[in-house]
Amino acid sequence: MILTSIELNNFMCYAGPNRFDFKEGINVIIGDNGYGKSKLFDAFYWVMYDQCFNTSQKAFRNTSQLKKLIVSDKAIAETDQGPITASVILTFHNTEKDSIYILERRYQVRKVGDSIMEDTESEEIVSHKEMSILNARVVTDPVKIEAIKRSILPDNIKPYMWFQGEQVESIIDFNKHDTLTQAINVLSNITRFDNIIEIADSLKESSTKELNRKQRDLSKDRGESERLELERQQVLNQIKQLELQELQVKDNLAKAEERSETLLNKQAEATKIRELEERRKSIERNLAEVQVEFNSEQVNLHKRMFTNKWVLKGTDGLFEEYSLLYNDFEQKKLQKQADLKAKIKAENEMVKEMQTRLPIDVPEPIHVQTMLSVERCLVCDREAPKDSPAWLKMKELLDRSQMKLKKLEDEDQPLQNFSPDLKKLYQNGLVMSHVIGRIDEDIASTFERLEKLSTKRKSLADDLRKVEQEVNALIADTALNVSDATNLLNEYSAQNDLTRRSITEVSNLEHLIGRKKEGLDSINKKLSDLVVGEVPAYLNEKVKVLDDFHKVAHSTRKRVFNKLVQMLEAEANKHYLEMIQGNLSARGVIRLKELSNGKNYMPELVDEQGNVLLQLNTGNIILIKLATIMAIISARQGSRDTELYTLITDAPMSVFGEDYTIGFCKTVSKVYKQSIIMSKEFYRNEVLREKLLHSEEIKLGKVYMITPSISENERTNRNSLSTNIKALN
Amino acid sequence: MTKEEILRSFLADELFIDKGYLKEGDADKFKWGTSPNNKLIKAIEIAIDGDISNESSNITEKKINQLLNQPQ
Repeated sequence: MILTSIELNNFMCYAGPNRFDFKEGINVIIGDNGYGKSKLFDAFYWVMYDQCFNTSQKAFRNTSQLKKLIVSDKAIAETDQGPITASVILTFHNTEKDSIYILERRYQVRKVGDSIMEDTESEEIVSHKEMSILNARVVTDPVKIEAIKRSILPDNIKPYMWFQGEQVESIIDFNKHDTLTQAINVLSNITRFDNIIEIADSLKESSTKELNRKQRDLSKDRGESERLELERQQVLNQIKQLELQELQVKDNLAKAEERSETLLNKQAEATKIRELEERRKSIERNLAEVQVEFNSEQVNLHKRMFTNKWVLKGTDGLFEEYSLLYNDFEQKKLQKQADLKAKIKAENEMVKEMQTRLPIDVPEPIHVQTMLSVERCLVCDREAPKDSPAWLKMKELLDRSQMKLKKLEDEDQPLQNFSPDLKKLYQNGLVMSHVIGRIDEDIASTFERLEKLSTKRKSLADDLRKVEQEVNALIADTALNVSDATNLLNEYSAQNDLTRRSITEVSNLEHLIGRKKEGLDSINKKLSDLVVGEVPAYLNEKVKVLDDFHKVAHSTRKRVFNKLVQMLEAEANKHYLEMIQGNLSARGVIRLKELSNGKNYMPELVDEQGNVLLQLNTGNIILIKLATIMAIISARQGSRDTELYTLITDAPMSVFGEDYTIGFCKTVSKVYKQSIIMSKEFYRNEVLREKLLHSEEIKLGKVYMITPSISENERTNRNSLSTNIKALN
Repeated sequence: MTKEEILRSFLADELFIDKGYLKEGDADKFKWGTSPNNKLIKAIEIAIDGDISNESSNITEKKINQLLNQPQ
C-alpha cells in the first residue's frame, strides 16, 4: 500500500487548496517550528481516526472537541457569509490488488452574521476504485470501510507506524511492564500463552481439590482428615499471602531497580554536572580575586606616574643638558671670582705703593682742598685747571687718605644669588638620574605583571565560559539542572538503599514460604497416610498431567517471551547500529535487561564485553526507542508490515540531534517501503539537506519545504495565514 | 503463529524429554494430532485449539477434564 497523495483544503494553517504527492522511499516535509508540520501529521490522522494531536495536552482530541479549530482562520476571515469547509483527502494505491482507496474527511462551519455555527461531527467519505475501472465508487458499508482502514493501517501496529516525535517516550515506556508485552504481542501473540496459563492454573487447582476430596473420602480417620484439610487450607492461605507479599516486594524491588537504572544512566551526568558546577564556582572565585588584583594594578598604574617617578621618563637628556649648563655656570663663577680676586689684589698693591711714596695726609687735606678749589698747586705754584692731570693728581692725594685695602667680600654681590638653588637642582637631578635609569625596567615589570594578570583573567574567563558551556550543554542534553543533579544523586543513593532492603526482604520471604511449603508437604503426607483403599488411577494420573501442564504452560510462556525479547533486541540493535553508524562517538549495543519481578525490562547500552555503558542520555534513549519501534514492525514474524504500511512520523529526530539525522533517514529508507517524515533539522542545516537530497544510500521519495505565508511575529493574527509548499526534488 | 508452531513451543520444554514423552529433536518435527496416547500433549492441543477458536475457557477446561477422566 502506497500513500500517493494528500490534498488539504482549508485545513488548519493550510488555507485554500494544497497538495503533496508521495512516492516510495523516504518522503520528507521540511519546515521550522510552527511552519505546519504537525498540522500535516494531524491531517493524516484526522482522515483516518477523526482526531488531531493536541500538543499542549499531549493527547488526541476528536473533531467534536476541536470544531472550528480544524478550519483555516484565513478561510473563515475571507468568507462573508455561508459555509466554509475544511477537507483532507488521502489517496492510497494498493499495488498488489492494483486498486485505489480514497479517504476523505470534511468538516463544515457556517458564517451567519458575525457568529460562526459549528457542525458537531465531521463527514467521512471512502471510495474504492479498481484501476481497470474509470470511476471510483463510494463505499457505504461501515464494515467495509473499517476493513479498508485496517488494510491501510492495522490497529495493533498503528502506534508504531503513525506517531508524533514527542509520543516516542510514551510509546516505548520501559517503566510500564505492559509496554514490552504489547510490543511483543505485535511480534507474536503472547496473550495466547497467557490464556493457556490461566486454563492450566485453573485445571491444576480443580484437580488438586478433586484428589483431596477423594483422599478424605477414603480416610481411615475422617475427623483427623478434616482437621488436616483445615490446617492445609490455612497453610495454603498463608503461602498465598506470603507469595502476594513477595510479589509486592519484588515489584517494589523492580521499580527501585528501574529507577536506579534510570538514575544510573543519568548519575554519571549528574555527577559531572555537580563537579562542573563546583569547578565553575572555584573558577568564578579565582576570577573575582584576579579581577580585584587587576583593578588594583590598574589604579596603581596611574599612581606610579608619581610614586615611581614615571612622569620623568625620557628626561634623562634634560639632566645631562642641565648638568652641562650647571658645570659651565660653575666654571664661569669660579673664573669670575678668580678675576675679582686678582683685581682687588692689584688695586691693593697700588694703594700700598702710593702710600709708600708720600706719607699719608701730606700736605694736609685742608691745603689739598684749597688747591683743588683754586685750581692751582701751591707747592709748585702752577696752575691746575679742574680735571686736568695735575688737578686729578691733587685729588688723588686727598682720596688716598680715605683709601684702605679691599677684601673679596667687599665686592658688590648680586641681589639674587641662585647658585645654591641651582646646585640643589643639580643634586636632585643627580639622584633622579638614577631613578630615571630604572623607570623603563619598572614600567616593563609593572606591565608584565599586568599582562600576566590579564592573561590569567582571560584564561580563567575562558575556563569559566567553557565550563558554563559544558554545564549548559549537559543541562540541555540531560534535562537536569544543577539542583536536579544534586537531587538525583541523593535519590540514586536512596533507591540503592531501597533495592538492598527489598533484596533482603525477598530473601526472608522466600525462606518463610519454603518453610510453609515444607509444612504443607508434611500435611499432605499425613493425609495420604490416612488413606485406606485405592485412589483411582485416572485421578492420580490426571493430577500428574495437570501439574505438568501447569509447569509447561508457565515455562513455555517465559521461554517464548524471552525469545521474542531477544529477537526484538537483535532487530533493534540492527537498526540502532545503522542509525549511529555516522557518529564515531556513539558505541555500544542495546540489551533489554529483565528486572527482578520478571515482568519489566530496562534498556541498557553495553560494550563488547557486556559492560554497561553509563552515559545513556535522552538522545540515546530516544534512539533506542526508535530502534525498538522499528524492530517491532520489522521483526514481526511472517509479516511484511514494512512493505505494506507507510510510516508517518512528525519530528522524530528532534531529540537526538543532527549527528544521527542522516543515519536515521538511511535506516528508515532501508526498513520501510514508504515513509513520510516531518523534520525541522533539514530546514536549519542546509548541509544536512544537501546530504539528504544527494545521498546514494537513502532511497528518497519526494521532499517538500513548507513555509508560512506570514512571518512569525505577525502570526498572532492568523487571518491571512496560509502555507507555501515548495517541492525540492 | 500457527497452532502447530504454538504446540512446538510447548513441546520444546525440557520436561517432555525428562519424562521420556519425546526424544531430542522431536519437538521441532512434531505434527499436530500425531500423539493420541500422550494425555499431556493432547491437553495442550485442546487448550491451543480452544484459544485459537476463541472458545470460552470453561468449555476448554471441560474438554480437558473429559480427556483426563477417561481411564487409560
